[in-house]
Amino acid sequence: MFVSDEDLMMKCRKGDMSAFELLVRRYQNPLINYIHRSVNDYHRAEDLSQETFLRVFKSANRYEPTASFKSWLYTIATNLCRNEVRNRSRRNTYYLEDLVEEGEDVYHTDIMRDTRYMPDVLLEKKEQRQIIRKAFAQLPENQRVALTLVTYQDLRYEEVSEILGCSVGAVKALIHRARQKMKKLLIKAGIGEENINAKI
Amino acid sequence: MRKYKNTEFPHSHNSACEAQIASRDELSAYIDKELPAWKRYLIQQHLKKCRACAGYVQRLQKTDTFLRQSGEVEVSTDFLAGVLTRVSETTQHQRQQASLWSRVVQRLVPGLETSPRRWFRHVSILAYKLRQNIQTRSPIYIFALTFCVFTMVGVTLYPSRSDRFGQSAHAWKKSDAMHNEKLISFEVIRRDPPKRLLTTALQQK
Ligand SMILES: [Zn+2]
Repeated sequence: MFVSDEDLMMKCRKGDMSAFELLVRRYQNPLINYIHRSVNDYHRAEDLSQETFLRVFKSANRYEPTASFKSWLYTIATNLCRNEVRNRSRRNTYYLEDLVEEGEDVYHTDIMRDTRYMPDVLLEKKEQRQIIRKAFAQLPENQRVALTLVTYQDLRYEEVSEILGCSVGAVKALIHRARQKMKKLLIKAGIGEENINAKI
Repeated sequence: MRKYKNTEFPHSHNSACEAQIASRDELSAYIDKELPAWKRYLIQQHLKKCRACAGYVQRLQKTDTFLRQSGEVEVSTDFLAGVLTRVSETTQHQRQQASLWSRVVQRLVPGLETSPRRWFRHVSILAYKLRQNIQTRSPIYIFALTFCVFTMVGVTLYPSRSDRFGQSAHAWKKSDAMHNEKLISFEVIRRDPPKRLLTTALQQK
């Protein structure tokens, strides 16, 4: 029998450790992957995921079943990631800034017009992953968070709006802009016709 | 940016679509299945006729499919154990903290109950509040409350009689001789009145 996250959380509120364990098992994989996409470091991702679950446990008594558990979990994780990225940039260790020239306004250039763009052609897996991760690191924070949550965590726009504290309409616009910028970044990174011809 | 002639790319979104059935934001939301059924149906019908919008949606979908191929990291097998260890460490720490506080408050409360002053009751409420909120409030708040509580504890244990405070403060600093001298003079002064009282009482009898 499937027990909903919210029911498990209510059991956890009463001190049921097995309910908490089940929640961790349910979300450990997507959560680590989500955090990993923000911080690009597996050990930090694991650490921050543990911290997220710890915070869930600590504030279980404040949890109200009116809020979706998933949104709540990802809100905690998103805040932790924000702090991590902020601290890192303060320490000047953010290393993926060299992909796009500064000051470029991608929103006003019509990148979707370029039909030579062929992202469906297979690249080597490792290279492909690297390109995607680098491109994600170039997105403005809210765009990156929104696109990651929709693409990889399969969250609805409404859930993303709860996490980012904005309207559903704003999420819609954010996702679209993120996709546009992402496409431009992928073209810059070589996911285009010339590059693919050269490979063949 | 390079400009393309319309003949090269005749189906770009802006130039070719005159129907304006959906905005670009909506076409992006369409591939996420985030539109109401009627809007979805309208777009579906429109995409069959409009190559510009169809091409735009296709490219959005290609980007999405490409991004989804980014792979996932494997979760280490001891992750769950790590979470549970951290949780049990925290609960132990919380229990210790709670028992420490209950001891402090227990010592504080009897003194407060015997005290005639009403504001001591407010201090006990503050102490409870501090115990409940110490983990969620700001350091300044915690510091201010701690300061208040410790001041109140001090006041309870050492009632504010200025002579006693003054005397003890001097006594710490003065030499033994002077200390003894003070004690003697103190004894002389304190002993006399009872004698007189006793004698007058005896005389009256
Ligand atoms: Zn159209």
